[in-house]
Amino acid sequence: MIGASVVFLETPNVSAISNSYGFYSISAIPGSYTMIVSFAGYANDTVAVYLQRDTSISITLENVAKQMQEAIVTAGRNNNVTKPLMGVQKLSINEIKDLPVLFGEKDILKTLQLLPGVQSAGDGNSGFFVRGGNTDQNLILLDEATVYNPSHLLGFFSTFNSDAIKDVTLYKGATPAEYGGRLSSVLDVKMNDGNNKEYHASGGIGLISSRLNIEGPIEKDKSSFNVSARRTYADVFLKLSKDSNTNQNSLYFYDINAKANYRLGNKDRIYFSGYFGKDKLGFGNTFGIDYGNSTGTLRWNHIFSSRMFSNTSLIYSKYNYDIKINSGSNNIGITSFIKDLHFKEDLQYYANANNKINFGLDVISHTTSPGIISASSTSSFNPLTLQSKHAIESAAYISHDLTVSTKVSINYGLRAGSFMVMGPGNFYTYDKAGNVLDTTTYSSGKVVKSYFNLEPRFSMNYKLTSSSSVKLAYTRTTQNLHLLSNSTSANPTDVWIPSSNNVKPEIADQVSAGYYRNFKDNQYEFSSEVYYRSMQNQIDYKNGAQLIANENVESQIVFGKGRAYGWELFVKKKYGRFNGWISYTLSRTERQFTEINNGRYFPANQDRTHNLSVVGIYKINKKWTLSADFTYYSGNAVTWPSGKYEVNGQIAFLYTERNAYRMPSYNRLDVGATLQGKKTKKFDSNWNFSIYNLYGRENPYSITFEQDPDDPSKTRALQYALFRWVPSITYNFKF
Amino acid sequence: MAIGLYACKKTVHLNLDNAAPQIVIQGEVTDDTTGSYTVRIFRTVSFYAENSFPAVSGASIRISDNEGHVDSLMETTPGVYVTQSLKGKAGNTYTLSVLAQDTLYTAVSTMPQPVKLDSLTFNHRTGFGKNTIYAVPNFQDPAGIANYYQFVEYLNGVLLNKDIFVFDDRLSDGRYITRSLRNDSAYLKSGDWLEVKMYCIDEPVFDYFNELDQSSSGGTFNTTASPTNPISNISNGALGYFSAHTIRSVKAQVY
Repeated sequence: MIGASVVFLETPNVSAISNSYGFYSISAIPGSYTMIVSFAGYANDTVAVYLQRDTSISITLENVAKQMQEAIVTAGRNNNVTKPLMGVQKLSINEIKDLPVLFGEKDILKTLQLLPGVQSAGDGNSGFFVRGGNTDQNLILLDEATVYNPSHLLGFFSTFNSDAIKDVTLYKGATPAEYGGRLSSVLDVKMNDGNNKEYHASGGIGLISSRLNIEGPIEKDKSSFNVSARRTYADVFLKLSKDSNTNQNSLYFYDINAKANYRLGNKDRIYFSGYFGKDKLGFGNTFGIDYGNSTGTLRWNHIFSSRMFSNTSLIYSKYNYDIKINSGSNNIGITSFIKDLHFKEDLQYYANANNKINFGLDVISHTTSPGIISASSTSSFNPLTLQSKHAIESAAYISHDLTVSTKVSINYGLRAGSFMVMGPGNFYTYDKAGNVLDTTTYSSGKVVKSYFNLEPRFSMNYKLTSSSSVKLAYTRTTQNLHLLSNSTSANPTDVWIPSSNNVKPEIADQVSAGYYRNFKDNQYEFSSEVYYRSMQNQIDYKNGAQLIANENVESQIVFGKGRAYGWELFVKKKYGRFNGWISYTLSRTERQFTEINNGRYFPANQDRTHNLSVVGIYKINKKWTLSADFTYYSGNAVTWPSGKYEVNGQIAFLYTERNAYRMPSYNRLDVGATLQGKKTKKFDSNWNFSIYNLYGRENPYSITFEQDPDDPSKTRALQYALFRWVPSITYNFKF
Repeated sequence: MAIGLYACKKTVHLNLDNAAPQIVIQGEVTDDTTGSYTVRIFRTVSFYAENSFPAVSGASIRISDNEGHVDSLMETTPGVYVTQSLKGKAGNTYTLSVLAQDTLYTAVSTMPQPVKLDSLTFNHRTGFGKNTIYAVPNFQDPAGIANYYQFVEYLNGVLLNKDIFVFDDRLSDGRYITRSLRNDSAYLKSGDWLEVKMYCIDEPVFDYFNELDQSSSGGTFNTTASPTNPISNISNGALGYFSAHTIRSVKAQVY
């Protein structure tokens, strides 16, 4: 269990929190103690212990049905107030399960977009922006493996099956030194280990998709596994069509999450986690694309002593896509992938109650194959293989959690990272117009360019009272993989490029400060946070940039700066029959490039001034739970015409400035209801009903401009909206 | 990725700025020696105005080539100026100079060697109950040189002006090209007469039309995130282009 709280009744000020692997360490002078272990949603465990020397005690907590009225008082509930880390949001899987979402699919990425500082990239889109960053500036980890494209079906679903997930943590502000690689945020998702005592199966059947989860012991009490799978079947309805062209279309995805762990004695445990997902979109024979992520993590936990814990991981991650086009005599196939091999060693040293040291090493070997085009002899296109790119990204880090006094605790650390661009390959430099100036060839294993960056991390907590505090943080992060994307919606074919002799690492510095306060015995949580982030080496594109199948894609990029700042307000009622939260963000995110808007700062595409989310979950009685969420946000910045003219008989639009206009604002209310079904010791089920966009508002997805087909002497603006009312029913079961 | 999803659409009235009118110059020189060449000069209007663009009259326009010919164009109707004697020739470089309202605008374009357009065939695309017909120009791309093409369609004698078709051989050098001209809507019906004119254009003109297409693309799901004015090969901030191009055409009945 991650984040379980351990405290001795006799020394209530000293508590320990279990780490990502359930390991905890707590110190006290020798004697008799009453140890209380707790975790939200589980019954407390009270154990009498007699400490004479280092002792190891394993605890298992039993899940209980959510209490309806009384709050269970335990230590650890005011972690948001007492811990120095700020800008951290934890998502509870229970909360996710109760919220209504599009198509009835519980989705952590959609729920994340309801939190302060996190903005959705748009209707249906899984992409998100954290504190004004771009979608590629979020490090998304599934059991330590990077997920390059966390979306299915162009973003309508995410790659995270909630059944397979145990814990979700989002770091927005003070990212611990053990994480690095992206500028804006880290989304750390941990998979379920599986029940090591009993077998259980659970799942759900819905209108668009179904899922199944099986867990149980491999060897009772020693090892367990958890396997989840799901598939959508929107295309089943297509197959029912009489039209022979429609019934050959495919539109589906499936994914599988698997995890197994085995305890080898008292000091060692090994884990294996894997994910495999695939999306398939196709129009009969003429066009097909399939894409997906696959990840694998092999881990070894070792307890050196009661104070020293080690985690060694070997991680594999791959994202690839495959396109087939068959149009007339034009047959082409395009494949592309990005692949990581990653070794990580992390050590946690619990020196004493006031000091914890975390240090380790991280090495990733990245390989990208930007595109291999195969073509038949009658095709209008030449076969082409774009050069593969190789790079080695490594880092060493150390951080120290220090309790300075009863009022002050700090976490400070340093991440020292290097990024080495490796041969083999040809490396080019370009002139301003984008022509190749010179080409240098490097052989395999040669270092073409290396970047070295120091990333200090610091956060501090000053306790004002037992239920309130102020925090301050500073972090520097760097990013060496960049997603090139020129269109309004994220495409599965967007290209990841590594830093190179032309492309420098992106760097961000963020300061944040906040006030935190819990009310009514930690039943209510309140926070008010402000942040400012400045970014260097941000990427944008030249006019008419050619990003597709371009060996010289680096000549199409321009570089500049960015800055983002804002204020986040958050109020949450955590326990009780009614709970929920309100989050509001007031923010601005801007970019500056010499080539754009005459070098003036301009709002980034994702800049939205106001962002409000209200979430409520109400458990009426043993049978019914109601939930609702309301979202409002200001329109993002867009480039619209300020005039028009005619070219070759066609109307062309006059643009004067980038992002000077705003889309209309967005608002939406979703409601859901869960009806508890038959429940016995062995079987549990419920029906979940939801309506996405209850009042069917036509929220603008995009606005385009054209000559009015009804009146050719005029031009008009046309607004597209995606979803109006989308009802959904899912039947969930567990046995 | 256009995926035929159900989307609601409606006309909305936006509060758009009215930028000060800007000059738009369009000029061409072709290898058709039977007629004259035209330069049109107009101004922009605001978005909600009528599609009637004010002409710029009384401009002084000259087109010269690298062989020493200089032609002073004469205004026939307001805003429309035609050459008097210039004959376009593949391989020559043409310079346009426009003096309008005390500002001098110049542009240079080199006419490429012509590429033969072999034939016109038709491609049927079916999907979601609709049958759309696209024209397919068939031609051999010369290997070893960078070629840029522009296609213009005339349906039953009338210019089809809803789409821009430009193509370069960056990924297709030396191939026999049979790429369809994908119209945004189904314009072609069986039995219609279609004429396709293939222009060989130079790189700056290709870039211009390519950017114009990206910025005006009516596709909702794949519009470029940040449209801009295409980079014109005309100096001094004029919108528009000057293109010296060859023309080859083929006419066929749609099937």
